[in-house]
Amino acid sequence: MSDPVSLALTILALLLGAAVATALMSGAAALKKFAHMPIIIACGAGALLAVILVTKVAAATEPQFVYGPFTWFAAGRFTANFSLAVDPLAAIMLAMITFIATFIAVFSSGYMRDEHHQPDAGYVRYFAVMSLFVFCMCGLVLANNFLLLVGFWEGVGLCSYLLVGYYYQKPSAAAAARKAFLVTRLGDTGFLLGIMLLWKLGGWHTDLTALFDHIAKNPPPTEQLTAACLLLFCGAVGKSAQFPLYVWLPDAMEGPTPVSALIHAATMVTAGVYLVARCAPLFVLSPDAQAVVAWTGGITALLAAFIALAQTDLKRVLAYSTVSQLGFMFLALGTLGAVSPVFAVVAAMFHLFTHAFFKALLFLASGSVMHAMGGVIDMRRFGGLRSVLPTTHLTFLCGAAALAGLPLLSGFWSKDLILESLQFGAHGSHPYAGSFYLLMLVAMLTAALTAFYTFRAYFLTFWGPTVVPDEAGHHAHESPAVMTVPLVVLAIGALFVGVVAEPFTHWFSGFVGRTPSIVLAAKLTGAADVAHHFNWGIAGVSTLLAVGGVALAYMAYGAGGPERVPVPLAGVFALSRNKLYVDEAYHGVFVKPAEWLAVMARVFDLFLDSLSRVIAAVPRLVGAAVRPIQNGLVQFYALSMALGLVVFLSFVVFRR
Amino acid sequence: MTLLAVPPPSAAGQLALAAGLAAVGAFLLLPKPGLRSVAGGVAGLVAGLAVAAAWVVTTFGGPVANTVETALFGLFAAGALGFGVVLVTQRNPARGAIAFAFVILSVCGLFLLLAAPFLMAATVIIYAGAIIVTFLFVLMLSQNDGPSDENDRTREPLLGSLAGFAFVGLVLFALGQSHAGAAPLPAQAITPAEQATLRAAAADLKALEDDRFYVVPAAGGTPSPERVALLSRTEQAVEDVVGVSPRKNDGTPRDGPVADRLAARSDLHAKGVLDRVAAAREQSALAFRFAETAVNDPPRGRPAEAKAEATKLREQLLLLAGVGELPARNVANLGVLLYAHHLLAVELAGTLLLVATIGTVAIAHRRGTAA
Amino acid sequence: MITLWHYLAVAAALFGIGLVGFLTRRNLITMFLCAELMLQGVAINFVAFARYHGNLHGQVFVLFLLAVAACEAGVALALILMLYRRGRSLDVSRWQDLRELGVPAAVDLESLPAVHAEPDPTLTPAGARPAPVAEEPARV
Repeated sequence: MSDPVSLALTILALLLGAAVATALMSGAAALKKFAHMPIIIACGAGALLAVILVTKVAAATEPQFVYGPFTWFAAGRFTANFSLAVDPLAAIMLAMITFIATFIAVFSSGYMRDEHHQPDAGYVRYFAVMSLFVFCMCGLVLANNFLLLVGFWEGVGLCSYLLVGYYYQKPSAAAAARKAFLVTRLGDTGFLLGIMLLWKLGGWHTDLTALFDHIAKNPPPTEQLTAACLLLFCGAVGKSAQFPLYVWLPDAMEGPTPVSALIHAATMVTAGVYLVARCAPLFVLSPDAQAVVAWTGGITALLAAFIALAQTDLKRVLAYSTVSQLGFMFLALGTLGAVSPVFAVVAAMFHLFTHAFFKALLFLASGSVMHAMGGVIDMRRFGGLRSVLPTTHLTFLCGAAALAGLPLLSGFWSKDLILESLQFGAHGSHPYAGSFYLLMLVAMLTAALTAFYTFRAYFLTFWGPTVVPDEAGHHAHESPAVMTVPLVVLAIGALFVGVVAEPFTHWFSGFVGRTPSIVLAAKLTGAADVAHHFNWGIAGVSTLLAVGGVALAYMAYGAGGPERVPVPLAGVFALSRNKLYVDEAYHGVFVKPAEWLAVMARVFDLFLDSLSRVIAAVPRLVGAAVRPIQNGLVQFYALSMALGLVVFLSFVVFRR
Repeated sequence: MTLLAVPPPSAAGQLALAAGLAAVGAFLLLPKPGLRSVAGGVAGLVAGLAVAAAWVVTTFGGPVANTVETALFGLFAAGALGFGVVLVTQRNPARGAIAFAFVILSVCGLFLLLAAPFLMAATVIIYAGAIIVTFLFVLMLSQNDGPSDENDRTREPLLGSLAGFAFVGLVLFALGQSHAGAAPLPAQAITPAEQATLRAAAADLKALEDDRFYVVPAAGGTPSPERVALLSRTEQAVEDVVGVSPRKNDGTPRDGPVADRLAARSDLHAKGVLDRVAAAREQSALAFRFAETAVNDPPRGRPAEAKAEATKLREQLLLLAGVGELPARNVANLGVLLYAHHLLAVELAGTLLLVATIGTVAIAHRRGTAA
Repeated sequence: MITLWHYLAVAAALFGIGLVGFLTRRNLITMFLCAELMLQGVAINFVAFARYHGNLHGQVFVLFLLAVAACEAGVALALILMLYRRGRSLDVSRWQDLRELGVPAAVDLESLPAVHAEPDPTLTPAGARPAPVAEEPARV
């Protein structure tokens, strides 16, 4: 057990211990107000250890440390092992997860309180599930065995269900939690099928390292590998909320806002991106799968950006924004055969990394707004909060600017890398090169839309005349330090982490690019690496788009206040506000037939019930019919014996 | 009468008719608060009995006219059945018990006709003497006056009569089928002709037991031709039945008609008879050899042995002739059978009687002193 | 010529009559007598077969039958006495308690015709009036 592995195991143990300790606290009422301590300690210590882990992995010559395998279960040729792998990809994810989780936990300890600053009723439950979630997410990135990965995958799904349904007494929250679980379950089915197919194709291996080695040496037929990759991608589509399985993410805003920040911005939804990145050696061998990934990402990005244009709920805008940005990450991943996988994967992972910071920041800031406004988050009901919430306003501005991709902020650098990889993919000799060009244009349009809707939300919330809704009461003041400090920290990250990590130092790409599975993928494809020089063209275009979007938003919403839609755009506006009627379509096509089937099944069940009751009544009836023979009269018994004897004798005597 | 040609009724039809009539009659005669008619009942029963008797006569052979046996059988049988009906249909149970006593007497008459005098006496003593008296005592102690449920009602009169008489009809039908040759009864071991021959031979052998048969004639005299003829005649008669033994000096050995007839049978009775025939065969060879020597060759003859052997032969012949007849000394033979062949059953019956006595006293014992 | 078959026919008829009586009459004692009637039919059967076969085995069996009948009579009468003590009646239908749960008891629907028993004739007592004596109740 080498040092990185022991560090990884320590982090996992700390998080699991925090989960157990917090859960045990639910027994004692006196301990309730300390429920946030175990997770903050565990995540904080975990973040420190993760940073040490990153340095250790960076220093290692062979940056892959596999720990295990201990056989979980085995049946015939199928073995599932407890196997962990620590490599740069996992290490950077670990660091990001624990760091952001720490600050979100600190924010939550201030957020999850009622008007009198007493902890909420489910305070302990909240932190217990949140620590369990962080544990499962860390296990997911560390898992080296598909079955173990699926276990943690389901674990994060479960915790998401529990946290989205935190306010379970509210029917809409319970329904949203169910929707999240069931829709991701659809993707998980494909995921499991893909694992089984890969097990068969990959020489009966379920360990990722062994599987990739085997497939690299004995590549299976392309159609079968494409099928396996597409099935794996199903899981990613479900978990990372891509079209057509994105419908759960906007509804998941029913949960507490820090939950949205952690789960639906930074960590759980990125699990799909992480999966595809980790399975780069497989995707690199299948051009059709790459095209599907890219197109799915592109369609999702544009669709979600379109819907976000007209939403009234601040959190919903951010939710659709997350879906759109995840689409960007898949756009980058789709090019990993056309461009060197190192570049493509690094682009996706870098955007994931920066997105985690600014999106978590945006969600937390909107949480701060919601907390100050007494639970109201409808942008039509408040306005001009610059003066009421100064810190929140400034941090929100940092996050919005990063999201829009204004120059030199972190979002700018990561979005540019994605556009670059699309451009290089379009110029290469890939069979789908033409579509990459089209997708690049789509991405640019989406970037413009992103800037527009982000600053629409910003202006509607913070600019214009100050309007505070009645529910705010005496709440309409800045949040306490326990909530603003994490905002500031994340704002600093949103502003600077991009420029520090990549463009000049190439520290990020150098670190992540050494991941053995990505190196293996690069070997398999043979595409040339992209030259690491600054692409002025892409940078210029994206700057123009971002600034243009911000300016348009300022022109339309600079004065804040009620939204006025120009008449020619009213139809488009309604379409956007009604989310393109996708939910209604799903309801009609899938939900109603399923309900109808359930009704028919109930009728059939009732019929079977009555049938079985009728059959059960038969012995009773037969008994009731035969019972009077036993009437207690001896002579009657003797008579029946005599009659039976007569019948029997007549048979014997008259036998022919 | 060709238009009304009625096919002769089959046995099943006749018996069904008889059973039906008797059932209706019994139904009408049984005491019940509803339909009760003595005349109708008696008529039905008599009609049924007549049809059944006609069927019995036609199937099993008619009675020979003016034979005492037939008359007595008819008397006793009618008595048994008649008093049985009285017992079943009489309202008053005391009168029924008296009818039962008469049934016993009739049945004992039948026993007498079947050569079972001891059983006749035993049945009269035990049943008519002990059992019926005990019943009458109990009846008198527990009888209530006037109409009562147990005496004036019957349970399922129609179905009960039908069941009983249907059963009788079926049994009679089965008897008829057996009689018709489906399973013929085994033939008699010794035919009456052979019986007569053996009895005559036994009568003749009596002469051989007399000393005067072996009187030696004066010197030089020939044996009396009558004695020689008697001897040869008797010997011939015996050999005609039991066969010739290989021990006889002249004459081919043969088994005799009885042994031939019984050779295929394997039952004990036939085996017993075969053994007896074989013994008689040997004995006859021996006895006649002695007798011939004593008659034809007086100096070498031994009259005493001849007499003894002749006596033995005569007894054997009489026993053979009596095969198929019951022994005259009924009680003695019953005793021999009981104590020689069925000793275990006797002991068990005794134990059963003891236990029953004790059980009866125990059951009927009244606990406590209250009256 | 009275053959074996005639005797068997008579025995069967006697048995049948006994069977009818046993199935129909309700007085315990009459039922028992009918059972004895059936036994008599069987006895005739045995003795007829003994006569036919020419040996005494059938008669021996009838002897045992007599012994068993005697035992049976004794025990049966003791039981009948017990039942009479409990139920004050010799009716076999009095005892129906072993019927199935839910089956109603069999009751007699028709009523018996009432018989006016003639009062016993009384005579004027002759001679001196005797001293009154307490009547002993009948002990059963």
